Amino acid sequence: MALPQSLRTSVTPPELELIASQQLIEIVPLISMERTAFISGAYGPLRPPNKAKIPLWMAVNLKLKKKCHIIAPEWLNIDYLQERLTRETTEPAFSDLPFRFAEISKVLLDVASDDLDNPDKLRSLLKDLREARQAKSREGLRELDHSELSLPNLCSMEINEIRPFFVQSMNVLSQIVRNPIPEPMMRP
Amino acid sequence: MPAIRRGSPPPFIPDDETPLEKLTRHWMNERHAPDILPAQEDLLGTLLDHLRRQSEVVQLLRGDPSTSEEEHIRIVLVQTEIERVKFIVRSYVRTRLFKIEKYARFITTNAEIQTRLTAAERDHASRHAKITDRHFHFSVLQSLPETQSHLDDTAIFMPPMITEPDNSIPVFVHALQNCPKITLPDGTSLEMEKGHISLTSYNVVQHLVARGEVELV
Repeated sequence: MALPQSLRTSVTPPELELIASQQLIEIVPLISMERTAFISGAYGPLRPPNKAKIPLWMAVNLKLKKKCHIIAPEWLNIDYLQERLTRETTEPAFSDLPFRFAEISKVLLDVASDDLDNPDKLRSLLKDLREARQAKSREGLRELDHSELSLPNLCSMEINEIRPFFVQSMNVLSQIVRNPIPEPMMRP
Repeated sequence: MPAIRRGSPPPFIPDDETPLEKLTRHWMNERHAPDILPAQEDLLGTLLDHLRRQSEVVQLLRGDPSTSEEEHIRIVLVQTEIERVKFIVRSYVRTRLFKIEKYARFITTNAEIQTRLTAAERDHASRHAKITDRHFHFSVLQSLPETQSHLDDTAIFMPPMITEPDNSIPVFVHALQNCPKITLPDGTSLEMEKGHISLTSYNVVQHLVARGEVELV
């Protein structure tokens, strides 16, 4: 089988994490390394204690070997997330967050929670945000028609989560529009 | 065909997009699109070459006993990246293979879709179509009445037996730039700004996907 059944209708969260891990992040290296050419570009040189920008996957690899500290991106702190949560719960629209915030924050909380300020509070804020946004996606289902649904500021992981249900619902709606049931058949 | 605004900007591909980022975008598009997208033979070739060169360097350094501890970490990182890129390449190729096998019979009769495949993919499609045809013929079709014994017979009450891509299914699009106006299935029009995300039918956005103005997410 060229593609397993589970991968045919959608992508999986680990695959989204793989894509998100290509984004650059700042670290404070604990080892030095010359500038090195990778397939995705050249990174380095690493010279402790100078900060450097490298892809997230590389930072995770070094972090697991205790060879660097990861600097949290500017949006991953309590003030920023608290402000977004307030907006999320008071305004009807989705607040703007980085497109892959769910993947990146999960990776960072998993491997580098000791580099973050108050990781437990961050976790609970992210969870609240997720729930508030999920509720909005469900509300969005009301707006669904056969033609188009705009979802500004929805994030990659959230899209993936609602995909199966939304796509199928829209499909059904467009079938109804395309082949309306003739009048007499609608009577019980 | 949705109307394209006069004087619309030329196909937009960000200049700073690396080959790997390009392939990642094509991989995701391929995964989400119902149809088979144009093959990216040159891009794939570039990346496969790069993968080979990186692997050779790693092999060389691995075999060298004077490689230091610091070098060792670099080797591990390069190796890790090789595996990441290989995963994307493999998944991309497998996704195409899956669609080619699914639509094999359709591909052999449709010249337009063939232009989107590589020579090897076309070959595979026709061989796959031949084998399944033979199998259907010997297992069922040969014992049916003449008028119903071909896969491309169009019986009135039956859905067609040849699978075609269903381009009306909805997809999530993410605009990478301001897009020209498109006409939606209900007849209204939509002008997507950069960053706009929308769920709509694939056939109204497929020309934007082909031009790289939107990506499927």
